[in-house]
Amino acid sequence: MTRTVLCFGDSNTHGQIPGGGPLERYARGQRWGGVLESLLGPGWQVIEEGLSGRTTVHDDPIEGVLKNGRTYLRPCLQSHTPLDLIIIMLGTNDLKRRFNMPPSEVAMGIGCLVHDIRELSPGPAGHDPEIMIVAPPPMLDDLREWESIFSGAQEKSRKLGLEFEIMADSLEAHFFDAGTVCQCSPADGFHIDEKAHRQLGEALAQEVLAIGWADA
Amino acid sequence: MPDMRFAPPNPLRIADRASGLNSLSVRSHNERLVLSLLLQSEATTRLEIGEKTGLSAQTISVIVRSLEQEGLVVRGEAQKGRVGPPTTPLMLNSEGAYSVGVSVGYRNTHIVVVDFVGNVQHQRVMPHKTADTFDAPEALALEIHQAIAGLSESRQGRIAGVGLALPTPPIRSGPDHDVLHRYLETELRLPVFVQNDITAAAGGESLFGTARQLQDFLFFYLGARLHGRLVLNHQIYNGNSPLSYDVGVLALERALPAGDPSAARLWEQHPAWPPMGSALADWQQACAESLIKSTQALLQFIELKTVLLSSFVPPEICTALCKLVQQEIPFVNAVVGRTSVAPKAVGAASLPFSSRFMVN
Repeated sequence: MTRTVLCFGDSNTHGQIPGGGPLERYARGQRWGGVLESLLGPGWQVIEEGLSGRTTVHDDPIEGVLKNGRTYLRPCLQSHTPLDLIIIMLGTNDLKRRFNMPPSEVAMGIGCLVHDIRELSPGPAGHDPEIMIVAPPPMLDDLREWESIFSGAQEKSRKLGLEFEIMADSLEAHFFDAGTVCQCSPADGFHIDEKAHRQLGEALAQEVLAIGWADA
Repeated sequence: MPDMRFAPPNPLRIADRASGLNSLSVRSHNERLVLSLLLQSEATTRLEIGEKTGLSAQTISVIVRSLEQEGLVVRGEAQKGRVGPPTTPLMLNSEGAYSVGVSVGYRNTHIVVVDFVGNVQHQRVMPHKTADTFDAPEALALEIHQAIAGLSESRQGRIAGVGLALPTPPIRSGPDHDVLHRYLETELRLPVFVQNDITAAAGGESLFGTARQLQDFLFFYLGARLHGRLVLNHQIYNGNSPLSYDVGVLALERALPAGDPSAARLWEQHPAWPPMGSALADWQQACAESLIKSTQALLQFIELKTVLLSSFVPPEICTALCKLVQQEIPFVNAVVGRTSVAPKAVGAASLPFSSRFMVN
């Protein structure tokens, strides 16, 4: 039996290279999803669903409705079901100036996704899958040319860890704060580099195994 | 009416990030279930907790995370199993909580401070001026204050409470049990939990001692007299029985010739007793017979595998008694308790842990 993990995220799940052009992406083995799969070993399949610019629940007036994580989540889940575990790492793009969201509202967006997953029950035999909320690492103060887009997001990003954990606690979901093991790259201040991908993948492998899975 | 799914989040525990132990009221039943399992085993895993409690992996995740943040639980290194995926063991943090235990005995009052896994951090004896008489609550409160002051400031904030082990029937003179309870609670500003002393000693062995892994066992406490308790499925049955047998240290003391200097040493904690000739051998035989008779009587009704003897008397005496029991009833394993320094006080110290962290 193979266990399937879906990683639902943004550019930092996609593997966008910090400071690089839009098409520059780390190879699978360098991305945290790939690191996670190789560490979990045989018997595990990791599906990466990382879209640059993805928000939790917002249509992006500039980048388009396709960036809305909520509308894409349902067809995505149904495409990949049955899923044993869904890891959600989103929130950074919700902090763009145009959305004007406090950290608590970003956490509410994450909460929406958890509710939507549980409504669909895309786990084995129609059960709820395990859900792990991962708070993205806080942004650095210097966002280079992205400052105008994210202006004010730096401080908010440091509060996502607590807000997401409160949400994970009240909805009874697994939680991990990525900021405890890695940080954003100074190349642009909000993407993670190869080293951070490896650190995150290693930490998440521990977290995934610690959940405790009955022998397949 | 708003859609309540999107009401503001209402976390059980995470928002409470004050250092030290969380207050009494917020510890949920599920949290106690998890802590009970941890207190009853050396190490466990989230998978095992799920199997034993029926709680979902996500519920356990939230509870364990908050216990980790509170410093009560630590995570071990992931271990590769022979079959299946690696497991991550969970265990109590020995420095996560502390407790004070007090036992008022026939000749002495004992005060101990133990850590979360039952290691004795501090121990004091207050001899009674007159045997069977306790009339010094103020001195006791002072001793407890001093015991607590011996812990670092951060550990003082992690004291779960004070356990008080008192005999049934009550000590001859001295304050009423309820009065003593209330006096200490006011004086120390800590929750005080009271239990029968023998039951407390059995609870201490069950939580910290030799019996930690045992679901069922017959417990004997050898003090001034010999007392017994039955523990079934980690629960102590008939917790207040006043029945005891006059084959304890008091009987041995009586058997010694008047003025024998050995008599006083029987009540102190010495690694060994002085030679006492036939008086000791006769007493040992009588005590063993009482142990054997009680055990055999019970074996008619219950299949017991373990008899546990707990006492402050020298370990070699206990071992000899266990050997005699074992000889007579070979299919029962007779063992000496672990908490041989002041077993009743250590048992008393287990009370705040069981009351605050475990399910009943």
